[in-house]
Formats: sequence, structure tokens, C-alpha cells
Amino acid sequence: MKILLVEDEAALRTALMGSLKQAGYLVEAAADFAQAHEKIKLYQYDCVLLDLTLPDGSGLDLLRALKSDGSPAGVLIITARDALDDKIAGLDLGADDYLIKPFHLSELNARLRAIIRRRQFHGQQQIIFRDLLVLPELAEVHVRGELLTLTRKEYDLLIYLLANPGRILTKEAIAEHLCGDAVDAADSFDFIYTHLKNLRKKLQEKGADNYIRTMYGVGYKLSHE
Amino acid sequence: MNLLNATTRYYLLLALLLFVGGSLGLYYGINWALRTEVGEQLAERRRELLAKAQANELPSVDQLAILLDISRAPRPLGFRDTVLLDRTEDELVPHRQLTFPLTVRGEGPVWVTLRKSLVEAEDLLGVVLSVMLSVLALLLAGMVALNRWLSNRLWAPFRHTLAALRHYDLQQHRPLALPVPPVAEFAELNQALNGFSQRLVADYESLREFTANAAHETQTPLAIMQAQLEQLLQVPALAEDPAVAPLVADLYGATLRLSRLHQALSLLSKIENRQFAQAQPVRLDQLLEERVAQLEPLFEARELRYGLDISNGPVVVQMHPGLADSLLQNLLQNAVKHNVRGGELAVTLSQTELKVTNTGPAVEGDPARFFERFRKHNAASESPGLGLSIVQQICGYYGFGVDYSVAKAGTRHTLRVVLKPTAGVPAKKSSAGFVAQGPAHSAS
Repeated sequence: MKILLVEDEAALRTALMGSLKQAGYLVEAAADFAQAHEKIKLYQYDCVLLDLTLPDGSGLDLLRALKSDGSPAGVLIITARDALDDKIAGLDLGADDYLIKPFHLSELNARLRAIIRRRQFHGQQQIIFRDLLVLPELAEVHVRGELLTLTRKEYDLLIYLLANPGRILTKEAIAEHLCGDAVDAADSFDFIYTHLKNLRKKLQEKGADNYIRTMYGVGYKLSHE
Repeated sequence: MNLLNATTRYYLLLALLLFVGGSLGLYYGINWALRTEVGEQLAERRRELLAKAQANELPSVDQLAILLDISRAPRPLGFRDTVLLDRTEDELVPHRQLTFPLTVRGEGPVWVTLRKSLVEAEDLLGVVLSVMLSVLALLLAGMVALNRWLSNRLWAPFRHTLAALRHYDLQQHRPLALPVPPVAEFAELNQALNGFSQRLVADYESLREFTANAAHETQTPLAIMQAQLEQLLQVPALAEDPAVAPLVADLYGATLRLSRLHQALSLLSKIENRQFAQAQPVRLDQLLEERVAQLEPLFEARELRYGLDISNGPVVVQMHPGLADSLLQNLLQNAVKHNVRGGELAVTLSQTELKVTNTGPAVEGDPARFFERFRKHNAASESPGLGLSIVQQICGYYGFGVDYSVAKAGTRHTLRVVLKPTAGVPAKKSSAGFVAQGPAHSAS
């Protein structure tokens, strides 16, 4: 899975690259418009992470270039919060999704997964994790061949965990994922706990292994072991 | 009471005092002058009579008695006031009399009393008062007329200045451009005010620039911190000491709070700087439904009973979609944050107003201050207390009214936003749908 990361801020670029590599992607980075333009003209990517504000040009022009070349790459826009209108323009130009800085890396993973899934397998697609089989098209979850009934939020939560296997997900990231990025009721993390508790219970009832680990004081992790 | 009226009042008071004093002085003065004059005339007659008596030119006493009041018995001598009945007018008239002895040759001394009528006090008073009062009336009328004229002409620049000040809006980033009127005081006032407003605008502008720059420059380090801390959490070495990961997690949480605060502040400064030009029709009912659905887990976690009434049909307002979203989010979150476990939350949207009612503990203080920045009900709360301030700014920006009311002994709080809906339905599906394309939907 090849990804081009266009981000001018070196430290952020490093962090993003680290996270993406951990998630198993092949990542190339471009620090400015010229580099990025060269790369998208020369190579094929599955997805482009595009920061809209670049020192020597607008990410929107890169998006235009991609679209006019008929590139099959998915585009995830990374934008500053105060550039709301750029975001709208980006989506109008055919970007798949957007993320507002600062964002959770786990959220980035989830979005990226969703984009790639949508782009790569037209229709038939499935997520397999240990004894779990998820069919996103149908929003169905099977444990050892048995159908598992989940609420919408529980399903969202499971998909989110599955997009970040082996990765510690913070309570904050999960709360924002479930309730939108404006949720700042830090004292309301108990709802995550409730949802996770229910999800675990349902999984265990179907005989699934207990792979959702609680990381004390931090968050949760979908464990490979 | 305006300044002119106030000064006029004192002028009139002084005038009244002077007129009373003047009238009294005039009255007694004229009275005294008259009496003196009458006394002199009486004395003159006496001298004539005495001279005639000396020269023996007087007729007999009987003849004299026809013309003069003569008595053979002694009378008290000298000047004296008396009243006599005036037969023609049938009233008592004050007189001045002078009694003196007169020796008519061959008949021995007789006592003569000369009398002269004084002007009646009432008549005098009448004359004095009528003159004075008419002058006073003229003065009053003159003063009023003069003031009206003055306030129209002389005070016009002042009133112009006042009107300009009253309509002054710092957020338009324009200094006052007051003219320099010919009256020195007003010119000075206007110059001082112009200087003030220029400094104010300059200060405001630099503050605004500072905020904008600070906001922009803070954003990137915050994003880096957040990303690096999240990466740090993934480092396997962290698992070796169970105390370390929570520390990093706390740091991560604090970074998030900081970046939220930062977002809220830059949103506020953007609204103040009117950087949200693109108003477009927004389906508020749809947006509201989406936002409520998104916050459902939060409601459930708090065991809130909630009701959403959007049965009044589509409500379309002209707004920037991002601000519409922010408005609803902040209203809803406020209602959740200040709620009690197991409480209630009701949202009603009609064509003209959006009403969010929630249960919650009674709050103290002036409701108007709830909209202030960094205003927290609970000082220990992690929220920076900017939500209602953002609500107020957005409402102010679009000319919506917003007010807070409380009922049921302070435990039922209502925030009401008076909307200005636009007629018709947006041509394309409002970008509300786009705004609500939150993370919860995109992962599926």
C-alpha cells in the first residue's frame, strides 16, 4: 500500500511517517509543492495525504493535477482549522475525506483504511482479524462464522479498533471518533467505557478471544497476541 | 434633563430671586419716595399758611375751616399716617397728615391738620408686580427661545459627536472621523475623541494581528506535539514501567485541551474579524438532527432524557455552514455539560427560534455574564468556558438574538436563539450534510 505524504512541517512529517510505517504502509514524503508535483507525475500512489497550505503553492492545485491525470489515488486532505473554505473547495474537487489539524494519528489510520477500502476493492471487501470477520459493505460482523449484532456506535468502535491493530488508542481519540471532533466533555469518557464494555461482552458471548485490552490511564488497544 | 435645561433652570431661579428682591425694593422704595414727597408738600403748605398768618393775610377761622381741618382744641403735632374714607370710591384710603398750631390774629391759636392722599398700596403693588412679571415672562420666553436656537446651532456639533460615539463599533476597524467645529471646546473634544479612537483602533488591530499570528503559529507545534505524543504512547519500552504511559497520556490529554482552547479562541477572533463572508442557505433542522444523533452516546452516558422537535418543517438560515455547525455544537454541549445525571434536554426548532432547555443545578450570578469568555460555572472544569461566548458571537454576527432564562427555582435553563430564516429552500443540498460528515460516518 503506497502512500504519498505531502506536509511541509518537518516534525509533523516525521511523526506521520512513523505512524504510517507502523501501520504497514509504504510511505513517501514530499516537503513542498514542487517535490509533491514531481512525485505525483512520476509515480502511482494508492492514497495521497495532502496538506493544503504549502510554502510554494496550494495543495488544491496538486489535487487538480491528480484529478486531471485521472489518478486512481485516494486523496485525504489535511487542513488547518481556520481554512474551512479550502476544505470545502477540496471536497468539491474530488478529495475523499478531510482531517483537521491537529488530529489523532489513529483517526488518520481509520480514515485512510476507509478510503483505501472504498477505492481498491469495488464492492467485495472484508476485514479479517483473528477470529473476526467484518463485511463493511453490509455492516456485518461475524465471530467464528456466527453473526454478531452490534449497535451503530459499537460497530463504529470496532471498525475503529480494527483500523488500528496493535496500536494504543487514547480515550480522547475514541471519544472524538464517536461523538465528533467538538466533544470536549473530558469527564464523559465513561460513555466509551460503557460502549467498550458492551462490545466486549457481545464478543465474549460469541466465544471470541479477549483482544481488546485496557491500557490503564491511557486507553485501549486491539491486541494481536 | 439636558445641559441647557439645567443651566436655564438655575438662570430662572436666580432671575426669580432677583425679581422678588427687586419687586420688594421697588415697592418700598416707591412707597418711601411718595411719602417723602407728600410730606414735603404738606410742609410747604404749612410754611405758606404760617407765612400768611405772619403777614396777617388769613381770613377768619370760620372761613378757614371750610377749606382746612381746624380744631380749637389741641391736637398731637407732627406727621402722622391715617386712613380716611374716600366717599366716591367708598373705601379707606391712606393719607399723610401734618398737624401744627396756627395763630390767626385776634382769635388765638388753632390746630390745623393738613392731609394728602397717598397712592394706595394695592395700586402700587399692582403696578410694580405687573411690570416685573411681564418683564420676567419676557425673559423666560426669551431664554427658552434662545436656548432652542442655541441647542439647534451651537450644540449641533456636540450632538453629532454624541451620535457618532453611540453608533461607534470598534469591530468595523475604523477610527472616528469627527469634524472640527468652530466652537473651541467642541473642536477640542472631537480632536481628543478622534485621537482616542485612532489609538483604540490601532491597539485593537495589533491585538487582532497578534491573536491571529499567535493562533496560526501555535497550531503547528500543537499538531506536532499531539502527533509525537501519540507516537510516544506506542513505544514498546513504555510498557515496561506501568507508571509512564499514564503520564504521557495526561500530557496528551493536556495537549488536546490546549488545542481545543486554541481552536475556540481562533474561531472567536475569526468571527470578530468578520472572516466568514460566505453565508449560504443552511438547513438548520437537518444539521440539528445530525448533531443530536452524533451526541447521542454522550446523552446516554449521562442518562439524559432528550427530545428534539423539528416538526416545524425545514428551517433555512443564511449562515456560514461552519458557523452554523459550531453554533449548534456549542449549544448542545452547553446543555449537556451543565446538566445533571438523569436530567432532561429539550431542543425545539421553529421558523423563528431555536430553543435549548436543560435541567441543571441552579446557577448564581448575572445571566448576562454567562456569555463572557472563560466564564465557568465550575472553576475546576476542564472546559475553558468559551462555548456560550462563541454562541453569542455567532448570533451577533448574523443578527440573531440570544437570551438565557431560568425557570423552576433555577433548575431549568433555557437558551433561546431568535433566528432570521430566509424564504425558500437551498438550491443544492446544503453543505450542512458535508459539515456533518464527521468521523463517525466516514469509517464505515
